[in-house]
Amino acid sequence: MLKQLAEKDLLRLLERIATRRRLLTPQRQSDGSRLLLPWPGGLPELVGTPLQRKPTEIFFPQLELLMELDNSGDVRLPVPADKPVALLGLDHFDLAAIAFLDRFFLSRPTDDAYLRRRHDALLVGLSGLAGPQGATLPPAETCDLELILVPDKLLARPHAKLGEELLAGFTAADPTALRAIDRSPAERPATLLAAARLLQEDQVPEAFWEEIAARCIACGGCNFACPTCNCFGVQDRTFGNRTERSRLWDSCQLDAFMREAGGHNPLGTETLRTRRRVYHKLVADPLRWGELGCVACGRCDRACPTGIGMLALCEDLVRR
Amino acid sequence: MKTTLTTCPWCGTGCNFYLFTDERGQLSGVEPAAGHPVSRGQLCLKGWNAHAFVAHPERLTVPLYRRQGELVPCDWNSALDLLHERLSAIAERHGPDSLMFLASAKASNEENFLLMKLARAGFGTNNIDHCARLCHSSTVFGLAETLGSGAMTNSLDCFEQTDLVLVIGSNTTEQHPLIGSRILQAKQRGADLIVIDSRTIRLARHADLHLRPRNGTDVALLCGIMRQILADGLEDRDFIAARCENFAAFETSLRDCTPERVAAITGEPEEQLVAAARRFARAEKAMIVFAMGITQHSHGVDNVRALSNLALLTGNLGRPGTGINPLRGQNNVQGACDMGALPDVYSGYQKVSDPAVRKKFAAAWGVDLPEQPGLMATHAMEAAAEGRIRGMLIMGENPLLSEANQGLIRQALQKLEFLAVIDIFPTETAQLADLVLPAACYAERDGSYTSTERRVQRGRKAIEPPGEARADWQILRALLGRCGLQADDTGPEQTMMEISTLTPSYAGISYPRLEGAGLQWPCPEAEHPGTPILHVENCSRGKARFSPVTYRPSAEVPDTDYPFLLNTGRTGVHWHTGSMTRRSHLLDREEREPYVEIHPQDAARHQLKERQPLQISSRRGSIEALARITDRVPAGQLFIPFHFVEGAANALTNNALDPESGIPEFKVCAVRLQPC
Amino acid sequence: MTIPASLYAPRPCRLLETSDLTPQEKLFRLQLADDTSLGHQPGQFIQLSLPGLTEAPISIASSPTRGPVFELGVRRAGRLTSALHQLAPGATIGIRGPFGRPFQLDALRSGPLLLIAGGCGLAPLRSLIQYCQDRPEEFGAVHILYGARSPADLMFKDDLAVWQRSDRLDCRTTVDRTPAASCYDGDTGLLPELLSRLDFDPTDCRAVLVGPPPMYRPVIAELRRLGLDGDRRIMLSLERQMRCGVGKCGHCSIEHLSCCSDGPVFWLEEVENLRGAL
Repeated sequence: MLKQLAEKDLLRLLERIATRRRLLTPQRQSDGSRLLLPWPGGLPELVGTPLQRKPTEIFFPQLELLMELDNSGDVRLPVPADKPVALLGLDHFDLAAIAFLDRFFLSRPTDDAYLRRRHDALLVGLSGLAGPQGATLPPAETCDLELILVPDKLLARPHAKLGEELLAGFTAADPTALRAIDRSPAERPATLLAAARLLQEDQVPEAFWEEIAARCIACGGCNFACPTCNCFGVQDRTFGNRTERSRLWDSCQLDAFMREAGGHNPLGTETLRTRRRVYHKLVADPLRWGELGCVACGRCDRACPTGIGMLALCEDLVRR
Repeated sequence: MKTTLTTCPWCGTGCNFYLFTDERGQLSGVEPAAGHPVSRGQLCLKGWNAHAFVAHPERLTVPLYRRQGELVPCDWNSALDLLHERLSAIAERHGPDSLMFLASAKASNEENFLLMKLARAGFGTNNIDHCARLCHSSTVFGLAETLGSGAMTNSLDCFEQTDLVLVIGSNTTEQHPLIGSRILQAKQRGADLIVIDSRTIRLARHADLHLRPRNGTDVALLCGIMRQILADGLEDRDFIAARCENFAAFETSLRDCTPERVAAITGEPEEQLVAAARRFARAEKAMIVFAMGITQHSHGVDNVRALSNLALLTGNLGRPGTGINPLRGQNNVQGACDMGALPDVYSGYQKVSDPAVRKKFAAAWGVDLPEQPGLMATHAMEAAAEGRIRGMLIMGENPLLSEANQGLIRQALQKLEFLAVIDIFPTETAQLADLVLPAACYAERDGSYTSTERRVQRGRKAIEPPGEARADWQILRALLGRCGLQADDTGPEQTMMEISTLTPSYAGISYPRLEGAGLQWPCPEAEHPGTPILHVENCSRGKARFSPVTYRPSAEVPDTDYPFLLNTGRTGVHWHTGSMTRRSHLLDREEREPYVEIHPQDAARHQLKERQPLQISSRRGSIEALARITDRVPAGQLFIPFHFVEGAANALTNNALDPESGIPEFKVCAVRLQPC
Repeated sequence: MTIPASLYAPRPCRLLETSDLTPQEKLFRLQLADDTSLGHQPGQFIQLSLPGLTEAPISIASSPTRGPVFELGVRRAGRLTSALHQLAPGATIGIRGPFGRPFQLDALRSGPLLLIAGGCGLAPLRSLIQYCQDRPEEFGAVHILYGARSPADLMFKDDLAVWQRSDRLDCRTTVDRTPAASCYDGDTGLLPELLSRLDFDPTDCRAVLVGPPPMYRPVIAELRRLGLDGDRRIMLSLERQMRCGVGKCGHCSIEHLSCCSDGPVFWLEEVENLRGAL
């Protein structure tokens, strides 16, 4: 049932969530960007530019301890946090990305490291007039409960049992209040779909990839910023008898990503790597998961120093 | 979980990012600052991995001193006492000028200031210098002469307004990736791009013109270009008349630089030279961008003079989208120079030879100060090898890998009576030390850093240092106290107050004002907004000066015994001597072995295969590296990055020094190769 | 909450014995510390873990028919394999796995088999050869064709000698070049040439290929010329830098496939048109 939250209700909701969970809320930083951080109390910064750090990093961090090994062969797995996490303020891009990673990491065989962080996490979506400069965010429904900002009001709608429980007792809202905003569902940009089609039909000439690759400075930002990128590397660090084995975000834009110990490298040119970045999201992922691997959040476009992020590149591709 | 906004520790671009700290109190990642005017939500690969080396098991965590040949742990008090006693004893016996202090372009402004104070006021010597000697000393000297200020004249935002970028001797997309990307973006929006570089760097692939002069012939090439501009009547007469001096002598000096003669020296066809001259001179706003390819020559200062002349000749100074833009390599090499970690100047380039300046600093510090300018780092190494420098304190530098002619440097460091090193890892230099002090890294201490566009910005402490490691400023404060100097400042913020009091160009800078995007110096008053573009109405020295130059060949050129020209530099994934990047998983994995770039023709002639181990020798040393066959280098040239101790390029390089700046000739020496 | 057993935690293994195979390759005999069987099938691989050096994918070189002891033939190539070569019997090594799709034994039982290996590709193929040796009744004629750079580079020389003496197996070797003073008595030349001289009945014949990337296309072309055309005739095992072994880390992807979990064994037609596969 749709609820209506006054400021004090929202605070009460946050307190309710925080009793059982480590609540992370959007907070504005000194440079103006918003990051998901432990709730310090008070009202969260719901409105503004998209969360700068991809929220999937809560479940799949940039660097994460997988286990500790000792020289006798014993393995110690990290202890899960005492409380599950709650993420508040996720827009529909964020939720789509989490759904994508859930399917990837939790499909068999289940990735226990991801599950350890993801298990029992509460997702609070955000939609309505919470975009930059009051722009409308499309419905964000693949979550436990959704906060919807309409003119002069904050609404809340549960999408799962947990959401219903958390919203119990708050004032019901008039469902017509939603009519004040555009509630059409999010769609992926047409250029992305058109580019995917061209790729799937193998209609992209090699010269295109060469030209894009020539502009790539291999910063890895597209991968590191992408909320559905899931490739990881593994590093060991030995302190005396104890070795910490961690995993870390990897980037398919690096020459050594696929390089084998003997020197052979199936992704041995920048052209192959550039193609792989796009092909993987727009062709391989649909073949494997039935869905594009790009949720069109625009993070790679913002992180790319040379203007060849996914959406810019697709536009270029389709225009030609 | 928490985040800390700080300044990137790698190059001089000055990007800002958030460091993420996990529940264990360790760094878990990096996120670019979206609202920062330099990073704008973007970073390079090293930036994205700036957290990776911090918790490495090889971090130094306790002070170490040498006992019976071994480095063994000791407590901080003993270590600091020992350091103070040994340096004092040497100074007492052989005079203060038998000591040398090396500051660090990785340390903060405050730390460089404190070390400068320690050398001058604490031990009474001007023998202080740092790695700017090896990178942009030619720039500081050359531009100080022609313009009155050795720093980048314009700002990074100027790339969005310029009509043409001339990149010479800078592999910008690898060494200043976020500046390189601005150049690529400028090209995309329609600006012209001229690249002058013997290697086909990424920018060259996008250039309207790529000139590939032989290494070491830039003076000839630039003079040829300027003569052509004059011949075509494309010089900016109004600018020359209004803003410059010494034009007549300069014009005369170009008389012999005919296209034919220049082509013969540089190996670059006449048409290219003429085309470059016309394209550059016809641009309404042109930016000159340069780095080590210009400065690291035995005629590095002349190279800089020539570039300065080119900008003046075409009136590309003092306006948005123009300027002479040296790209400073380290995140605080600009600041270390600004702070007077140089043998001839106090902070703000105030000359030690000026009695009034000396009097000001002496009054502030309550001691008499030495009058004679000190030794440059490169000369100090020669002096150490000859026994004239006997004690050395090195803060965060690794000269054994970074200076030219490793054999000489090793001999110099080994001959010292006492060597103390402050660092975060057991570097190759630290292995030779008598005392090693563990320092906090950038993420573990507060401070300020000055970027290549003179932007002074905050670095902020995110986590605690490992073990007993301490911030450099804490170490230096303890040493200042032992020297009897006032050391009651409580931290970097107070040190910045001292800096601003004594340094006119930093006079308006204070920590509260550095919140946000920092301030670009000169910032002479507390209300001053900073200075994005220098020399707008007048140059710092008044009139800009044309400084005539004559081509001089490099000190050692290929011959029959050593037939290849060796060029050295860096790769995009590693930082200098690799002490941090080779301990960062993704960066290390990307380039793990020393390699040598060789042109396919040369490889065919020597029947070499990709990744074949080669021995490369110069008159000074010999190393092994794997062949990398590529037409990035021209035929006849080899390129070796200097990051790798197991194939140290600087075992080969020539310590022939520029007579004015004291910079070694890293970019040209003669070598031969043979398969291992 | 119930978290499943870790995908990434290695199981301890005892190193029982090592022996030199070639100047670059060594044989390692291992057994799980709890003495249980590895439970693998021919064609699978394990992730071998050494603390401080992470992991490396290694094919299993012995057949599950040979009991709980298993063998690995490892070339010294990177940091981990170099360290492995230094280990002495008695050492503890971590392993994960077995991983990957094995050789499709059911499909190999119908007719003559061509088992073709190049370089260290003989290691995974040896698992299958041993299996055929141990279960002779299940298989038709088995031809082994093995190519290496030089006689010194031939792996598993003792096994080759046994296989060459066996009347159930036809085992031939070829090398790119033979040094002057060599007592090598096999062929010289590339694998397709050796193949072209082979006398076998292509009807119902299946070929299994394992080797370095440049080997595949010429050998496949020759096999087709000899009549091995159509689907499910040629099976190959691809080598990639597999890291996790379970299709998560992305290091071994071939377009939409994960070499570690969809492979490493593929039918040719499954990968032939995928860019970068062969």
